Amino acid sequence: MKRPGGELATRPLHFVWIADSSGSMETDGKIQALNYAIRNAIPDMRKVADENPNAQVLVRAIKFSNGAQWHVSQPTDVADFEWTDLKAGGVTDMGKALSMVADQLKIPPMTDRALPPVLVLISDGQPTDNFESGLEALMDQAWGKKAVRIAIAIGEDADHDVLQKFIGHAEIKPLQANNSESLTKYIKWVSTAVLKSASSPASQTADAASPVTNVPVPTIPDAGPSSADDVW
Amino acid sequence: MNAGHEPRWRVVGASVRGASHVRTGLPNQDAIRWLPESGTGRPLILAVSDGHGSAKCFRSDVGARLAVETATGVIQEFLDSLPDPLNLSAIKRWAAENLPREIARRWRDRVADHVSASPLTSAELDRLEAQKDIRKRRQVGLEPILAYGATLLAVVVAESFILYLQLGDGDILVVSEAGEVSKAPLPTDERLFANETTSLCLRDAWREFRSHFQVISASSPALILVSTDGYGNSFRDDVGFLQVGADILAMIRADGLDAVSASLETWLTQASQEGSGDDVTLGILCRMDALERELPAGRVPAGQLYRTRITGQ
Repeated sequence: MKRPGGELATRPLHFVWIADSSGSMETDGKIQALNYAIRNAIPDMRKVADENPNAQVLVRAIKFSNGAQWHVSQPTDVADFEWTDLKAGGVTDMGKALSMVADQLKIPPMTDRALPPVLVLISDGQPTDNFESGLEALMDQAWGKKAVRIAIAIGEDADHDVLQKFIGHAEIKPLQANNSESLTKYIKWVSTAVLKSASSPASQTADAASPVTNVPVPTIPDAGPSSADDVW
Repeated sequence: MNAGHEPRWRVVGASVRGASHVRTGLPNQDAIRWLPESGTGRPLILAVSDGHGSAKCFRSDVGARLAVETATGVIQEFLDSLPDPLNLSAIKRWAAENLPREIARRWRDRVADHVSASPLTSAELDRLEAQKDIRKRRQVGLEPILAYGATLLAVVVAESFILYLQLGDGDILVVSEAGEVSKAPLPTDERLFANETTSLCLRDAWREFRSHFQVISASSPALILVSTDGYGNSFRDDVGFLQVGADILAMIRADGLDAVSASLETWLTQASQEGSGDDVTLGILCRMDALERELPAGRVPAGQLYRTRITGQ
């Protein structure tokens, strides 16, 4: 007997890199380290996706400097995702990037049966545009509020207050990457442990009295020791 | 059972362990139960529950089983206590207020009994701590009921009314004789989104029940489908999911309810494997006389999707 109902489909899991490509990222090879770390993490992301075949991992990337632009505009199956190097230059229009991400989290084009998206904000500086309005646009979207929001601070000049506002959860702090090794480690963690956690269909109780992240954030790796001659 | 000329109803159903649970070694955390156990007659009570799969809810398979046992038992008592003649307005009020309160209270009592008989073990709590989640360990240690969190969907088909009850996520589809499919007209709950759900384990859980009371009329449903969210989430879109209702009606008419019942596990397993990966449970309440009727001239046969509203009373 034929199966009832329409087409079956795994649940989409949108993963978005939100990357700072301002001029300061050129200093001390930060942009090169970011390009290396994201490219290096792709095989790990594919492995996690293969181990969780009921989540369809779709990756894209947006960059911000003078304004913001989609670097990879189409949600791309992780099996086909490739990284083209970002180039640094310009200011830090982070708010614009968040508002553009917010547009893409509307329903539609998103579906309400998706898994919670993962948004990873990476920055080495302070926003030069209206960050608050960008964040507000993001949090106005149901999927913006329910996204797993992770932030990585590159170097000592990153604005932790802004990144913490983006995360919006007191128990999750921005990850401080002070060198290329720690950046690679954090990018790998978010590409694997966080992605794996977000791939699970497990339900959480919606309890206003005891708010939880709707995807458990796994244990954060240690940044590891940093040598004095290799610190941003 | 079948009372004279009144239409006979039957219920069938199945529950399968999700593809992702098979991969990770978790049990099926859904449960289904109906009364009478023969699955035939009126009143007929069907309950389905989805135990939350989150780390904190490590006994939610037990919570789901207790949910369907409690709900069917409490509803049966409620039906047995109804006065004759029936006052439908009074039943409607009672069903919307007292019934959820009683189900939630009795479920909590049964969970407390289970905790007394099988206290949470250090091994269970250690697994939470292994995830460096001290806060969750403390929370569950203080309130063991949180480990049993589960949803509840229940439908009662009595002689003169149908009652729909829902706490948390999942779906109740209603299929007319013509194959028109709609979601049961329960109030929308915006919180049921992004894997979040209301739950029996919440304080004042009875307030979170949504209900709909429908007086049985000439336009009573041919089928009522009750499923956990793992089923609906396995379809690319809502249209494809709603099509299940019309397709199953057509299949029952063509091959019989027993043939459909025998195929359910295969269908649900396939849905989980190619869809959500979650546990999947589906119960089908079927008005048998609706299967025998010819479609009115000019009506499009079941198998083709319609969206309509059930008018209720």
